[in-house]
Amino acid sequence: MKTPELYFVDGALPETAAPEGDPQPWTRTRVVGKPLARIDGYERLSGAAVYPSDVVLPDMLYGAILRCPHAHAKVTRVDAGAAAKMPGVRAVITGATPAADLRWYYSRTVFTKLFDPLCRFAGEAVAAVAAETPQQAWDAVRAIVVEYDVLPFVVDEHKALEPGAAAVQGDDNRVGEPETYSRGDVAKGFAKADTVLEATYTTAAEIHTPMELHGCVASWDGPRLTIWESTQGVYPVQQRVAMLLGMPLANVRVIGRYMGGGFGSKLQADKYDLAAAVLAKLAARPVKLFLTREETFVCVGNRPPSTMRLKAGVKKDGTLTALEMSVLGTGGAYPAGGTSLVDWLVRDLYLCPNVRTEMTDVFINGGPSRAFRAPGHPQGAWALEQMMDALAAAIGMDPVELRRKNIPKVSQARGNQPYTTTGLDRCLAEGAAAFGWREAHRRPKGDGAVKRGVGMAAGLWIAGGGGPPSTIVVKLFADGSANLNMGASDLGTGTKTVMAMVVSEELGVPLEKIQIENADTGTTQYATASGGSKTVPTEAPAVRAAALAVKRQLFEIAGAELKVGAGALHIEGDEVVSASDPKVRRKIAELEGVQRRGLLIGVGTRGPNPEGKVVNPFVAQFCEVEVDTRTGEVRVLRFLSANDSGRVMDRLTYEGQVIGGITMGIGLGLTEQRVFDRQTGTMLNVNWHDYKIPTAMDVPAEIVSLPIDVPDDEANTAGAKGLGEPVTIPTAAAIANAVYDATGVRVTDAPISPMRLAPLLAAARRGGER
Amino acid sequence: MIPAFNYVRPASLAAACAKLASSGTHAHAGGTDLLGCLRDGVFAADTVVSLSGIPDLRGVRKNLDGGLLIGAMTTLAEVAADPAVAAGYAALAEGALSAASPQLRNQGTLGGNVCQRPRCWYYRGDFHCARKGGDKCYAVKGENQFHCVFGGNVCFYVHPSDAAPALVALGATVRVTGKDGSRSIPAAQFFVGPETDYTRETVLAPGELVTEIVLPPQPPGTRSTYRKIRARGSWDFALAGAAAVVTVAGGRVTRAKIVLSGAAPVPWRVPEAERAVTGQRLTPQVVRKAAAAAVKGAEPLAENGYKLELLRGAVEEALLRLA
Amino acid sequence: MAHDHDDSDAEDPKGVSRRGFFTAVGAGAIGAATLAQAQPGAPTPAAPSDDPTKVTLLVNGRRRRLLVEPRWTLLFVLREKLGLTGTKVGCERGECGACTVLVDGVPCYACMTLALEAVGHEITTLEGLMRGEELGPVQQAFLIEDGLQCGYCTPGQVMAAEGLLRANPAPTLEEIRLGMSGNLCRCGAYAHIFKAVEKAAELKKAAGR
Ligand SMILES: Cc1cc2nc3c(=O)[nH]c(=O)nc-3n(C[C@H](O)[C@H](O)[C@H](O)COP(=O)(O)OP(=O)(O)OC[C@H]3O[C@@H](n4cnc5c(N)ncnc54)[C@H](O)[C@@H]3O)c2cc1C
Ligand code: SF4
Ligand code: FES
Ligand code: FES
Repeated sequence: MKTPELYFVDGALPETAAPEGDPQPWTRTRVVGKPLARIDGYERLSGAAVYPSDVVLPDMLYGAILRCPHAHAKVTRVDAGAAAKMPGVRAVITGATPAADLRWYYSRTVFTKLFDPLCRFAGEAVAAVAAETPQQAWDAVRAIVVEYDVLPFVVDEHKALEPGAAAVQGDDNRVGEPETYSRGDVAKGFAKADTVLEATYTTAAEIHTPMELHGCVASWDGPRLTIWESTQGVYPVQQRVAMLLGMPLANVRVIGRYMGGGFGSKLQADKYDLAAAVLAKLAARPVKLFLTREETFVCVGNRPPSTMRLKAGVKKDGTLTALEMSVLGTGGAYPAGGTSLVDWLVRDLYLCPNVRTEMTDVFINGGPSRAFRAPGHPQGAWALEQMMDALAAAIGMDPVELRRKNIPKVSQARGNQPYTTTGLDRCLAEGAAAFGWREAHRRPKGDGAVKRGVGMAAGLWIAGGGGPPSTIVVKLFADGSANLNMGASDLGTGTKTVMAMVVSEELGVPLEKIQIENADTGTTQYATASGGSKTVPTEAPAVRAAALAVKRQLFEIAGAELKVGAGALHIEGDEVVSASDPKVRRKIAELEGVQRRGLLIGVGTRGPNPEGKVVNPFVAQFCEVEVDTRTGEVRVLRFLSANDSGRVMDRLTYEGQVIGGITMGIGLGLTEQRVFDRQTGTMLNVNWHDYKIPTAMDVPAEIVSLPIDVPDDEANTAGAKGLGEPVTIPTAAAIANAVYDATGVRVTDAPISPMRLAPLLAAARRGGER
Repeated sequence: MIPAFNYVRPASLAAACAKLASSGTHAHAGGTDLLGCLRDGVFAADTVVSLSGIPDLRGVRKNLDGGLLIGAMTTLAEVAADPAVAAGYAALAEGALSAASPQLRNQGTLGGNVCQRPRCWYYRGDFHCARKGGDKCYAVKGENQFHCVFGGNVCFYVHPSDAAPALVALGATVRVTGKDGSRSIPAAQFFVGPETDYTRETVLAPGELVTEIVLPPQPPGTRSTYRKIRARGSWDFALAGAAAVVTVAGGRVTRAKIVLSGAAPVPWRVPEAERAVTGQRLTPQVVRKAAAAAVKGAEPLAENGYKLELLRGAVEEALLRLA
Repeated sequence: MAHDHDDSDAEDPKGVSRRGFFTAVGAGAIGAATLAQAQPGAPTPAAPSDDPTKVTLLVNGRRRRLLVEPRWTLLFVLREKLGLTGTKVGCERGECGACTVLVDGVPCYACMTLALEAVGHEITTLEGLMRGEELGPVQQAFLIEDGLQCGYCTPGQVMAAEGLLRANPAPTLEEIRLGMSGNLCRCGAYAHIFKAVEKAAELKKAAGR
């Protein structure tokens, strides 16, 4: 499955026309690139920001969902009679409720029902309740009697392919034919190699668990439905809800002005939207339905686990001759891209004439996957970047040098189309220099039981160039302050701040005088969901175009009033100034034409990306770790991330993305792992102490962000590429390489917990003693 | 979501004990474990009996014999920060500090910590296992990576407390009051292993409350520590750990107590390891021998063999800290 | 809004801004003064499960009278009954810290605190750190150092930092880490959070509070 499908879940993409006026690249910026504090920091820090889960409406009810406790079962009877009569209960819906007899799909190829009698994973929705308090709603959920016909299940993707395995979607547990890719001739490539290595690498399934729970508040006003949703994209939610409820788009308004994290798990509507809408309708009261933390582990997505067999050939001089990879993965019980993009780095990160990959996606009785920060890439990096490290060791070459020997200028997997810009080599070289790689790599590892080591890894992100559609409206008020109207959500990446900076750059308005209206299908422009590191390169050019449209009008007005040609004007602070005679100037607020119109409105769109070229961000990361060889405990001491993501927009939130991505990568590399019970197929670690995401004790305080700040002016008119995904791609692999450097033990299975590492270290010691 | 319960907040110990004697009642100290159990439906509470109205259960005092008395309602944070605890009973201070998270330590009490229920994920999950009155232990053939390597029988959980191993190693006594009066129980006998009774974790009878932990004075030359190994730096129960208390005279260990965490359904004392250091200097070789002795006789399950390495490492590093 | 509570009798000596917190005065001073008055609201010895009990909670220096059920947590009451949604909900099981509030100045999880157990204690939430419409020093520091991304864990982080700095006005980096280790941030802003806490210590010192 390719990126567009992952990020635009609901079918064909609308397009927007190229903006008028053909904006030229910025040569010098005054605002863009600075480290500016978030424009909505006050709201987020004062408690004034109303996140969807904060919405409390008059007379609101609370919803809760009954979920199937079995990995695979048929619902044979649901008796909600007693539940419906319980104190405070205002509505109960089951598969037998006519209003709840709705279609649903996890992927467009398989339609099921909101409450489908066949539950293909533990956590599937069976019924829902609305009551006066959440406590009462849950009392009622517990009182619903369900009879299940429990069916055989399989939750291990390897076992799913064995003969006699339980059938998840049909006789064959494979999701279609394996996806294959090939260029050159790998057999010949391996024959030419001086060294050929082969290994199997695995990563565990990861769960997004953003801090704000998944859920919504649904409220009807006659035929119109308003949903406050914690989402990465209000429009995709609106589309799916309207379609499944058979309603006009205009009657479904989705609002998500703030949201507490998504990482790909909130790109789409969920069953809870339909349940909340139906409950609210039946009870004629607003319904708040937020999942519990435990539920968010089972039914709102995950990063698929990957098993990756990788074979690589290299010449003594470091030239890669062949790469061959086979991948097994699972997206759960429905087609959900269980192997999506896992092979992409093998295909495209390094120059290599002979590449073959094959990926097999299988069904298991698990919750469907959803896009998770750089789908497939961190897994692929875990394999490829450890392999590169091993190759470097095998031929006695520095790992940075080996990578620098194999830098492509073109996207080999996309018909050798050139990259608009590629900073991979600079990321490697400048990152290594800033980190002090050479010295650190040579340093002794320590005499005691605690060893130190350094590791590095690189990556690119398949997307990150953004693209149409996007439509933005910028309004300039008569006093020179501005309003920015966009549909996009700000996931915490700083989208709003960056966009305000673009407006400020063009119109001179300080951030304090820009008001932003966003993420509301009722009042803001169409936008795709924020995700895939595409938001800045998608929205910023459209914002710029909108600001420029305002500027053109402003200069026309000012030109007439100052008797200067519109082309010879520029903005300085809050004034319009003649380029030829700086004494000819006027405050925007004092321009009569602006006063008369009251408001200047500019509309901007996102034009197409350059034809025949590929826009990708690149990254190289370096880290130092300490390993207690007695106990297998790994401490990450410091990290450096060198990123080519085009122009740096906000230096402060840029750094924020870097530390966030690394922190998440530490989770993949060291602590996170979904655990299914083999006896029942249910997930056991459905809470945050059994499922371990990194805490303040697990991350280094020293994380250096080193931007390779080269504007990609060919990519778009903001010169920016995506950042949010590349920052997490090489992290886990860099840690694994550092652990190897420290201990001589290569851990090919993630996460590297003491559980895994201590026995490997002990085995290595025993081997060494022999 | 927590099912409904009645709530009482007695103003005296006697009243609390009387209340707690009836079935379906549960004591609420800090509530950090109790509320989790109720949310997960591990058991139901008809009535929650708050201990917060009872006077005099909180605080650290000097005992007449030179030891310390710690009230059951003293928070883990208070235990960890108490200068007298840190000075004389470092293993306990370190154990308390290594538990849970800062906020949970501010709320959770020492009494609650030693009475907390198992953290086995089957027990906390939707599984009617042996400990809950069912007919099997799901860990035996299931995901037992966090289960015990010692002392398992019918049930194979590991005791979750980080304070308990230190208490056992330090020779603490648990003071208990019930409706028929008070008694003192050595910490080592306070915890009940599954071979004795797999449906309970402590010797407490219905209506009995822990009121105080008594720490005896330690002989001169005694030092102690707690080494905890976990998968992440905070909010994590021990994968393995060791509380070690040694008394050294003339450079040699005259007395040693080593108690493991993350190893068994109760804090697990390892006499062989203690013997391996007694009479010896704490050299790296001696320490390594003791570490090896600590895991002798362990019976790992399918997924938790790694614990032997970790337990060895914990014992070794704990003893090296005291060397 | 919910009709089962009222704060009509919350006489307010120092002026309450529109979000219901004190202006220009630390909650500490006022809390101590009003705590005694809050005592009569301490729960009657028994609170039956199905019959709400009338209690008085002292939140951000204001007395709030309302009816609660025994199983209601302080978190639920703050957010859904008192409209103080600065306190966030992440797990309701003591595993994330989003719900961190100060109880008598000490960081605690509101999700692991029964509302009935909070009676008689001084509760401070994010809203209580504001000085009128202005951010308090810890909040300012988080803004300056960008100690947040999605911002959802942030109120809890801010409260944990506030509690930490009240107990230890000049923490080392390791003390900051430990002090902040009861608050998850899935966005992974920790490295900036550490800086924010360092900055907060400075700002607090400069402001003399
Ligand atoms: C996410 C999380 C992580 C944790 N991590 C750790 C960890 O790493 N290490 C660790 O040691 N602990 C850990 N804990 C457990 C925590 O330390 C305990 O929850 C806490 O110490 C219990 O104290 P409490 O006062 O809150 O007990 P409560 O929850 O009030 O009570 C716990 C149990 O003990 C009973 N009880 C309480 N007081 C008494 C008494 N005086 N006499 C008799 N019975 C009593 C109660 O009825 C209840 O059954 C963790 C807890 C959580 C929620
Ligand atoms: S180890 Fe004990 S608590 Fe866990 S499943 Fe087995 S019997 Fe139950
Ligand atoms: S909501 Fe209280 S700790 Fe997570
Ligand atoms: S800022 Fe998003 S969870 Fe911390």
